[in-house]
Amino acid sequence: MRRALAVLSCIALLATAAQAAEDLIKVGHTVSLTGGASMWGQSEKNALELLIGKINESGGVLGKKIVLISYDNRNDPVESVNVARRLINDGVVAVIGPAQSGNAIATAPILERAKIPMIVTTATNPYVTIDKDTGKVRPFAFRPCFIDPFQGTVAAQFAYTDLGAKKAAILYDVGSDYGQWLAKYFEEAFTAKGGEVVAKEAFRSEELDYRAQLGKIKGLSPDVLFLPTTQKEAAMAARQARDLGITATFLGTDNWGSPDLIDLGGSAIDGGYFVNLTDLSDPDIQDFVAEYRVVYGKDPVLPNPVMAGDAIYMLVDAIKRAGSTDGTALAKALEETRDLPVVSGKITVNPEDHNPLNKPAVIQKVDTKARAFVFVKKYEPGD
Amino acid sequence: MFLQTLFTGLSVGGIYALMAVGYSLIFSILNFSNFAHGSVIMLGAYMGLGLASKFGLKLGFVVAGAMAGGGLLAVLNERLAYRKLRHRNAPSLYLMISAMGCSVFLENMVYVTIGSRFYAFPEFFTRRVVTFLGSSVSVMDLFALAFSLLAIGALGLFLARSRTGIAIRAGVCDMTMCSLMGVDTDRLVALVFLLAGALGGLAGTFMGVRYLVYPTMGWITNKAYIAAVIGGLGSLLGAIVGGVILGVVETFISAYVSSILRDVFSFTILIALLVCMPNGLFGKSMEERV
Amino acid sequence: MSYILSITTLACINMIAVLGLAIFTGFTGLFSFGHAAFMGIGAYVSAILTYYYDVPFFLALACGVAASSAASLIIGVPTLRARLRSDYFAIAILGFGEALRVILENLSITNGARGLPGIAPYTTLPVVLLCLGLCVIVARNFLRSRYGAACIAVREDPVAAEMSGIHLFRTRLLSLALSAAYCGLSGGLLAHYLSFIQPVMFTLVQSTQILAAVIAGGLGSISGPLVASFLFVALPEALRVAQMWRLVAYGLILVLIMLFRPQGLLGHQEISRLFKRPAGEGH
Repeated sequence: MRRALAVLSCIALLATAAQAAEDLIKVGHTVSLTGGASMWGQSEKNALELLIGKINESGGVLGKKIVLISYDNRNDPVESVNVARRLINDGVVAVIGPAQSGNAIATAPILERAKIPMIVTTATNPYVTIDKDTGKVRPFAFRPCFIDPFQGTVAAQFAYTDLGAKKAAILYDVGSDYGQWLAKYFEEAFTAKGGEVVAKEAFRSEELDYRAQLGKIKGLSPDVLFLPTTQKEAAMAARQARDLGITATFLGTDNWGSPDLIDLGGSAIDGGYFVNLTDLSDPDIQDFVAEYRVVYGKDPVLPNPVMAGDAIYMLVDAIKRAGSTDGTALAKALEETRDLPVVSGKITVNPEDHNPLNKPAVIQKVDTKARAFVFVKKYEPGD
Repeated sequence: MFLQTLFTGLSVGGIYALMAVGYSLIFSILNFSNFAHGSVIMLGAYMGLGLASKFGLKLGFVVAGAMAGGGLLAVLNERLAYRKLRHRNAPSLYLMISAMGCSVFLENMVYVTIGSRFYAFPEFFTRRVVTFLGSSVSVMDLFALAFSLLAIGALGLFLARSRTGIAIRAGVCDMTMCSLMGVDTDRLVALVFLLAGALGGLAGTFMGVRYLVYPTMGWITNKAYIAAVIGGLGSLLGAIVGGVILGVVETFISAYVSSILRDVFSFTILIALLVCMPNGLFGKSMEERV
Repeated sequence: MSYILSITTLACINMIAVLGLAIFTGFTGLFSFGHAAFMGIGAYVSAILTYYYDVPFFLALACGVAASSAASLIIGVPTLRARLRSDYFAIAILGFGEALRVILENLSITNGARGLPGIAPYTTLPVVLLCLGLCVIVARNFLRSRYGAACIAVREDPVAAEMSGIHLFRTRLLSLALSAAYCGLSGGLLAHYLSFIQPVMFTLVQSTQILAAVIAGGLGSISGPLVASFLFVALPEALRVAQMWRLVAYGLILVLIMLFRPQGLLGHQEISRLFKRPAGEGH
C-alpha cells in the first residue's frame, strides 16, 4: 500500500518533457473538435493544415516553417481558457480561433495578458474585440469576419423587405453572448424599419423544449420567427413550432449553417432562411473550395474554413511586415493590414475596432430535399 | 393558451412519469435510488435510434427493441454493479455511490465512443399534428400516451395478478421473509430491474423521438427523481402522479411566470413539499427516519 | 515548470473542497450531491467583490466563505430539521445546487450564464498552500474535538447518538456549514486562479467529482481524500489523458471501489498510520 502510494505520487509529479527547441513558428489553434460545433471545427482544422502546408512548401515565413498546434476546446468557455493556457505554455506566437463568441470573450483576457495575438475565425460578437467594461479595443484581439450588429441588420432587412414581414417574434438562448446580442440588434433594426417585434422569448442553455415559449408566441401570430441560435436549437424550435401549428417563416443566423441542421430539423426547417458569412457558390472562394475537395474528398463546411484561411494569411502577412514574431509587434502589424488578398477576397483591418472593413453577408435558404443550403442574396455593407 | 399549455404540460409530465415509474420500482424493492436509471434511459434511446436509422424499422418495432435492450441493460447493471453489494448487505449509501459511478461511466463511454453529436430519429408520421379544441397535439404525443398507458397498465396488472407479481410485492414488503418462503431473491431482483429497464428504454425512445439523442440526455432523469420523490419513493402511483404534476406545474410556470427561472420554482416546490410531507404524496412512511 | 505549478495549484484548490465534503460525508455520514454549489457561491461572491468593488483579496475570500456557510444554512435548516432520509436529502441538495445555478445565470451582476471573465489572478501557489495547511489543521482539530466526536457518532448510529444526548440537528448543521465554508474557500481561490467563472462550472458533474475523491480516499479519513483528490487532478494531466476519459475513469473507479474496496484508499485511517510500524502488525 505504501509503495503503491509512493509510486503513484511520483508519476503524478513528473513533468511533461519540454519540446525540443527547433526553428519553427508555432501557431496555436483553439477549435471545437467535439460538441455541437464539431463539423465546423474539423473543417477549420483541415483548412488550416492544407493552407499551412502550402505556405511551408513555398518556404515558410521568415525562413521558418509553421507548425499548427490544435487543441479541442469542446465548445466550452472553461475548456477554452484551459486551452489558451496550454497554448501559451507551448510557446505559440499567435492563436487562431475560437470560433464562438462566448469562448472568444473568455479567452481574450488570458491571451492579452500573455501578449499573444488572437485572431478568431467566426466569432461575431462585437465584444470579442472591444472590452465591454472599458469600451476600448482589445489590443491583441482581431477577426476576419463581420460583426453581429451588421448581421442583425441584414436579417431584419431581409425579413422586412424580402419576406414582407410586419410582425416578428424572437426566441433566443439567454446564456449565449451571441444569441442575446443578436436578438437585440435584430429587434432594433426591425423596429427601425417599421416592423413590430411581438414577442421576445428566451430559453436556458441546453434546454430543448421550447413549447411553453412557443405557445405564447403562437397566440401573437408573427410572420417571422427569428432564431439566433445553434443549429440543434433551431432544429428543435422549428419542429416544435410546426407541431404547435405556428406558420411563421423561420429566420436564423450563421450558427445554423452546419449540415446537421437538416438531419435534426427535417421537414420542419425546410424553407427557413439564415444569414451566413459566405456561400459555396461565392466566386471568391472557388479556388480554395476546389483544393479542399481534392485533398479531403468533400466540401468544406462553410464558413469556418474560409475564415480560418483568412486568419492564417493575415497572420503570415503580419509576421512578414513586422519582421519578427514578437506579440506586440505582430499586433501592431495586424492593425495595419490593408487590402490583403485572403481566401474570401481582400481584407482591410479597421485599427479602431480591429474588425474588417466591408465584409459582405449572404442569405441562404434551407432545402431539406436537396440537403443543401441554397444561395439567395448577398448584402454589402452600406446596402 | 391555457389549454395548449395544459396539453404541453401533460406531454412533458407523461415522460417524467414514465421515467419515474422505473425509478420507483427499483426503489420499492431495494430501497435505494438507482442513479444509473438515467443512463439506461439514454442507452435505450440510442438503441432505438440504431434500430430506426440503421435498420429502418417502424416505430412499433423500434419501441419493442428499445424496451428489450433497456431491460437487458438494467439486468446487466444490477448483476455487475449491485449484486455483490446486496449480498454483502452493504448500506444503501454504497449502492447509491455505485449507481452514481455507473451513470458517470456509461454517459462518458458513449461520449468517447459514439461521440457527442446530436442525432434525430427519422420522422415516423407524415401527419404531424392534430388540432383539438383549438390547441395542437402532436401525433407522436398521442402515440406515446397510448403506449405508456398500455405499458404501465400491463405492469400494474402483472404486479396485481400474476404469481411473480405477487412475489415481487412480497419482496417489497419484506425481502428476508420472501426468501425464507422459497423465492429466489436474485432472480426476483433481476426481474424487477428488467421491468424497470424496459420502461426506461421506452421512455428513452420517446424522449429521443420528441427531442434528440445525445449522451447527456440522461440528466433529465433528475426531473424524474424529483417526480418520484414528490409522489413518494416506492409508490408506483405516486411516481405517475408526481410526474404529471411536475410536468404540468413546470410548463405553467414556464408559460405564465418565467421560462428561465422555471427550475428555481420547481426545486422550491420540491423542498417545500419534502419539508411538509417527508415521504412525498404516497410514500411509505418509515419508522426510523433518523 | 510553470505547468507543474499550475497543476499543483489546481490540485490543492480541489483538495480544499474535497476536505470539506470529507467532513460532511466521510465523518458525518450524509451523502451530498450539491457541494459544488457552495464552491460556486464562494467563487461568485469573492469574484464580484474584487472585480466590481476592488475589495482586498483575503477579505473577499472571507466574505465568500461566510456566504457559502450562510447558504448552507438556507438549505440545511429545513431539510435537516425534517430529518429527511439520505436519498431525499441527496435529491434536495441536488435540487438546491441546480436552483442556485439558475439564479446565478439570471443575475446581471454575475453576468449571467456567459460567465464572468477577467477576474484578477490573485491566487498563487503559496496562497493556496497556506489555505490548505490552515484547512487541514482546522479539520484535524475539529474532528478531534467533541464536535467531531459527535459527528462520528451521528454517522455510526444516529439513534444511539441521540439517546446519548447528542443533538442530531445541530451537529449535522454544524458539519454542513463547516463543509460549505471549505467549499466556499475553494471556489474563491479557483475564481481568482482561472480568472473566469461560469455557473455551469459548479453543477452536479463537479459535485460528483468531489464526491468521487472523497469515496476513493476513504470515508472517515482526512488524508485519504486529500491524496485521492491530488491523484485525480495530477495523474490525468501527467499522462495527458483526454478530459472525456477522465470522467469515464471516475465512474469506473467509484463502482470498483464500492465493489472491491469500499473503504477506499485510507478508509478510517490516516496517512501517518502507514508510516508508523507498530511491532508485529501489517496493514
